[in-house]
Amino acid sequence: MDKQFNPFSLEGKVVVISGAASGIARQCAISCSKMGAKLILLDMNEEGLMETMEMVKRPKEHYWASVNLLEYEKVGSIIKDAVAKVGRINGLLNCAGISTTNLFKLTKPEELDKFFHVNVYTGYFLAQECTKMGNLSKEGGSIVFFSSVAGSFGEVGKSTYGMTKAALLNLAKHLACEMARKNVRVNSISPGAICTPINMNLPHMKDPEKRAVLESQHLLGLGETTDIAYACIYLLSDASRWVTGTNLFVDGGFSVR
Amino acid sequence: MEKFKELLAEALEREDEIKMEDEFRSYDEWSSIAYLSIIAFMDEVYDTQLEEAEFKQLKTVQDMYNACTKK
Repeated sequence: MDKQFNPFSLEGKVVVISGAASGIARQCAISCSKMGAKLILLDMNEEGLMETMEMVKRPKEHYWASVNLLEYEKVGSIIKDAVAKVGRINGLLNCAGISTTNLFKLTKPEELDKFFHVNVYTGYFLAQECTKMGNLSKEGGSIVFFSSVAGSFGEVGKSTYGMTKAALLNLAKHLACEMARKNVRVNSISPGAICTPINMNLPHMKDPEKRAVLESQHLLGLGETTDIAYACIYLLSDASRWVTGTNLFVDGGFSVR
Repeated sequence: MEKFKELLAEALEREDEIKMEDEFRSYDEWSSIAYLSIIAFMDEVYDTQLEEAEFKQLKTVQDMYNACTKK
């Protein structure tokens, strides 16, 4: 076996991860650091970010900033500062987002606004900042938008959340076309139900009966955060150099049926 | 003129130097997307709207600058 051969290596790559204070994004930070990436970690939750920084490999190499991604100008100056300190960006994992279960008939316009701003606009403008001249690596890069199985499949109470996640699927396709000339690949990932500390306290996972239903929908059972992080490593690495504009279901078989 | 060059560099996403005598279509960064970005900043910043046929007449960066500032 050739021990040097690793097409999934992130050695020498700078990767931005939003929402890195917890859950899947935190695991992505840990796993990407293990694969050799230098990280730029963003989240509103400073305490959570500090905890993530204690878990990553080579913490001194990375950059972190506590920021509200809706403050677009501030995000712009943070990205500029991060690039000056860590280097030009090769990858972006747009993980930050919020979830809800609410009925269509009870949803108010301001709730829709909030979800589109947090789940769609922040990723859109963060990608814009990361790919600006001077911020993006001259070799190009890879952007991953975090969609969800709810972006492709219907479920009661998920219209608000699902719409925002479907928007990201579509955004990835259009940006793939627009960014290809700069050798930037743009893809989305659609996780199924993942066991994160936050999710484990939600009714659909905490309640044994509801959890059993959820498990039965996933052929391979519920997912772990590493299942998503490893898929992200593939999409960020040169192993996926010919992959753009696609959506990768990482859902333990949820989407098969 | 420096502001114009800055806007053009941003539209083209060109990090190398831009000279007024350069034929902008010969830049590696020239593309249909760069064209749309240039049309947008000419309109927004210089209030200059050019038909495609008029834009085709422009050869150099200087031509483009003249079109933006001739009013």
